[in-house]
Formats: sequence, C-alpha cells, structure tokens
Amino acid sequence: MSSRRRIAVVGAGLAAVSVCDALRAQGYDGELVLFSAESGLPYDRPPLSKDVLLGKARREDVLLRPEQWYTERLVTLREATVVRAVRPHEGGLELADGTAVDADRVVLATGGTPRALPVPGGDDPAVHVLRTWEDSVRLRERLLPGTRVAVVGAGLIGAETAAVAVARGCRVTLVDPVAVPLAGVVGDTVAGALHGRHTTEGIDVITGGVCRLEHPPGGGVVLRLAGQCRSVQADLVVVGIGIRPATGLAEAAGLHVDDGVVVGPGQHTSHPNIFAVGDVARRSGHRVRHEHWEAALRGGEAAAHGILGRPLPEPGASWFWSDRHGSRLEAVGTMADAERTVLRGTPDSGAFTVLGLRDGRLVAAAAIDRGPDIRAARRIVDRGIPVDAARLADESADLRALLKR
Amino acid sequence: MSTTSSTGIQVARVGDIDDGEALRVPPEATGHDDAVAVFHDAGAYYALDDTCSHGRASLSEGWIEDGEVECPLHSARFCLESGQPQCMPATTAVRAHRVEVRDGGLWLHLGPGEGAAG
Ligand SMILES: Cc1cc2nc3c(=O)[nH]c(=O)nc-3n(C[C@H](O)[C@H](O)[C@H](O)COP(=O)(O)OP(=O)(O)OC[C@H]3O[C@@H](n4cnc5c(N)ncnc54)[C@H](O)[C@@H]3O)c2cc1C
Ligand code: FES
Repeated sequence: MSSRRRIAVVGAGLAAVSVCDALRAQGYDGELVLFSAESGLPYDRPPLSKDVLLGKARREDVLLRPEQWYTERLVTLREATVVRAVRPHEGGLELADGTAVDADRVVLATGGTPRALPVPGGDDPAVHVLRTWEDSVRLRERLLPGTRVAVVGAGLIGAETAAVAVARGCRVTLVDPVAVPLAGVVGDTVAGALHGRHTTEGIDVITGGVCRLEHPPGGGVVLRLAGQCRSVQADLVVVGIGIRPATGLAEAAGLHVDDGVVVGPGQHTSHPNIFAVGDVARRSGHRVRHEHWEAALRGGEAAAHGILGRPLPEPGASWFWSDRHGSRLEAVGTMADAERTVLRGTPDSGAFTVLGLRDGRLVAAAAIDRGPDIRAARRIVDRGIPVDAARLADESADLRALLKR
Repeated sequence: MSTTSSTGIQVARVGDIDDGEALRVPPEATGHDDAVAVFHDAGAYYALDDTCSHGRASLSEGWIEDGEVECPLHSARFCLESGQPQCMPATTAVRAHRVEVRDGGLWLHLGPGEGAAG
C-alpha cells in the first residue's frame, strides 16, 4: 500500500465520497484528492427533487459529509476544479487550467448530465432539468401557486417533481410516452398504483410524446404532442428523461466505454490504474447502469477494495426508493426477473407489497409504504432462502419469520 | 407511564417490546435532547438515541438483528451496544444508553453526561 501515494478522484458526488470513506476504513494512508467541478461542500442529490424543492431543506441539511470529515480523514477537496483530461500513460490528470496532477490511481466518479429533450424548441429557456443544487433552487423559485408546469418524463425524477409542484399549488401536466412508467422494474401493480396516484392528486396525466415546443404570442410555452391534436400550455417545463453518463474523460483516455464506462467487479476500467464508480459506470454483463443512490455507495466500496486488491464485498440485491405524494416506493431487484408475483396487502389501501419469485426463490420486491417488508425481502433474496407463495401472501405472517433459523 | 427516579426511568415492562422490535421513548419522557429507541434483540435490551446520525430517520423503526439496527431510510447499521456505525452512509456514532431489567420493568439510564436522569 505504501507504494500508492496518491489517489485522485474526479467528481465529488456520493460515489466519490464513498470511495474515500471505504479507502480510509480499509487503512489506506496515502493522499486522497477529490476534484469537484461544483462549488461548496459536496451534497446529496435525492433531496433535490424532494425536500429542497419543497423548500424544507437548506444546503447544510443535504451535505454528503460534514466539513470536519474532510480534515479528519485527510481528504483534500478541490472544489470548482474541472479535470480536463486523464493521462493513463503519464499516471495522472490534467486540470482545466493546464496544471498536471500526478496520481497512482484515478477514480472516475463524474456522474451524468440530464438528457435534453431532442425536439425543436427543446433548448427553450423555459425548460428546466434537475440534477444540481442550482437546478433545484432555480426551479423552486418558479414553482409558485397557479403556475402551469409541464413535466416531461414520468420516471423517478419527473414523478417526484410533478408531486412537489402540485403540492406547491401549481397546475401540473405530466407527459410520458409510456402508459405505466416503471412497470419493468417494479411490476404492473405497483407501477399502476403509483402512476394512478398522480391523477388522484390533481395532476393531468397524458400518455404521449412531445414533438415540438412553441412560443405563442401571449407568452408561455406550448408542447405539441406527436400524433395528437391535443397540446399542453405551460409557463415552465421540467424535463426528466434520464441522464447521459459523463464519459468524456474516459473516451478521450481510450477506455472501454459503452453506455457508461465499462467496469469489472472491483470497478476496474479497461486500464488497470483507472476505476469508475456511480452513475458513470456500467458493470460489464449488466444491461443497464444502476443510476441509484445505493448503487453509487456500494460501487464506491467495491472500488476501494479493488484499488487495494482486497477481496470484494458480496454484492447484494439492488435497492432504491422514491418519494412522491407523501408515499414511499421502495424496490429490491427487478420485477422483470420474476416468473410469478405474490401480493401482500391490498392496493386499494395504498400500502402494499409485490414479491417476485423465480424457481422457488425471491428475486424482487416492490412496495409502497411498507418498509419492513422490503427490509425482510432484501435479506430473503440475498440469503437465497426458499419461499412458498401462499406463505408470502399471508398477511398474518411476518416476513421476518422466514429469516429466523 | 414513565417513572423517574435516581435509579433510572422506567420506560416499559418486560414483554412490552417483542424480540426484534423497538420502542421509541419521546424526549418529554426522559428530558433528553433526542427520543431514545429501546431495542429488544435476542433476549437482550439496548438503547440508543433514536435519530440516525446520517439523516432524520427514527432508528426505532429500523431492522434489528445480530446486535445491530439498520436505519429504515438508507440502511446505515449501528451497533446496539455502542452506537458505533458499522457501514456507510453513517460515519458518526449515535449516543448509547443503558437498559436495566429490574422487577419486571425496563429501566433506562441515559448515557454519560446526558439528560435529566439521576
Ligand atoms: C434530483 C435527483 C433525485 C434522486 N433521487 C433518488 C432517490 O430518491 N433514490 C435513489 O436511489 N436515487 C436517487 N437519485 C440518484 C442518485 O442521487 C445518483 O445515483 C447519485 O447521486 C450518483 O452519484 P455519483 O457520485 O455517481 O454522481 P453525481 O452525484 O452526479 O456526482 C458527479 C460529480 O462529478 C462532477 N464532475 C463531472 N465531471 C467532472 C470533471 N471533469 N471534473 C470535476 N468534476 C466533475 C459533477 O459536477 C458532479 O458533481 C436522484 C438523483 C437526482 C439527480
Ligand atoms: S437517515 Fe439513516 S442512513 Fe440515512
């Protein structure tokens, strides 16, 4: 370990901070430097479409780590410092001002940037995206009662933003070409209940694709829908149609990039001294990038083990959550992997769980406001415990009992 | 319900908290600056400050197993005995308190230098 004197991390989001935490926990005592294109102490992104947008959280409430964390763990934060290039052959980085920085290992934790709406008028100034603190604050200032808000994309961030906007008294239209978004991940029942909730909360939900944005003479924006004579009038538009992984540095450095920087189990890229973590990385063999909070955290841990050549932590089932309309969605694994599903509870009550089975084992779970079921399900998946469908459906039986030896 | 005395604060009776469950004792009942979560894990009782050191979640709603509690919000785990974080995203400990089982009751003794007990 003593031969590794400096690890440079590009980006300072959750994945980057997690790499540092795990490296120190593993006893790495060399230099650790975080390069952040953003200003200020690194912050957490999930609150940006929840409490920050609702006006309930300030910047200091959403910091990833308190200031003393950086001094105690000897992590140097170079804020507002953009890395321009990674130089695998010379062993280091080049900053935007031309400075060269030596490093034995480089970790790419550059995240992603929101995809722009690829239609004429998609770059209109009334169009907002939501990725950074500044994005959230800018949008929050404009979500005033009575404002007509069109949200394009009803996935996680779009749905959460629409829920906040309606809670703040805006008149909200939510447009997505998919009739029931998220169904592939959480299954039809949960996805249907979640999506249906938008309508009950007063959001106008439209299934359709936006093909053009226009400016009527009277002000505002008109969203034209492909193949429909209906159009949407709005004062502002929020686009939440996914991100593009920030792979520029990796591509320029000649690394293997294919919808993300392709990494192995220890987060190694195609270059032995360069690692990639978080939203920018895609595990080889995985069809999709796992653009979720916990995946960024676990990827950071795995990278620390990979860098130090330690045995890797067991990868558990994936998990994410999303908050909208005062309810919490949580999902473990992917419902598309299941061959049959079992329902616990009644969808009409608002709180219920769907468990996905395959070959007598649990492979996925999705729940609305049923955290304890999810916690148990996750362990049942990870431990490969055989399950019986009738027993899982029995509401009088606690799922935790299945975990007792 | 809770009885304050120099010998601790009675927060529950043995049998009130099932194995694998926890009780949230509000700050009004203890004079402490946070609620206290009293845990029952495999026959033993533990108490920690209820608010997770990472965010604002209540540890009394967490998953209790093998001497640890897992936060319901982002899954940080804490040692029930010491309050030390066992994994990310938590990096700081939550304060630990002592639970005494006496005369069929569960008596809470707030950790060193805290609150109004004693
Ligand atoms: C609004 C919002 C809500 C979310 N809600 C949830 C949720 O409820 N549940 C959930 O599971 N997940 C949620 N997520 C997803 C989760 O937050 C992300 O998966 C996670 O933040 C990814 O972390 P990261 O470190 O990979 O990337 P990021 O957090 O994006 O960090 C990357 C950083 O790298 C910097 N950077 C990029 N290039 C350079 C360069 N060349 N030089 C220097 N710095 C650079 C960027 O400026 C950025 O600060 C949400 C995301 C957003 C945006
Ligand atoms: S609030 Fe407990 S882990 Fe985040």
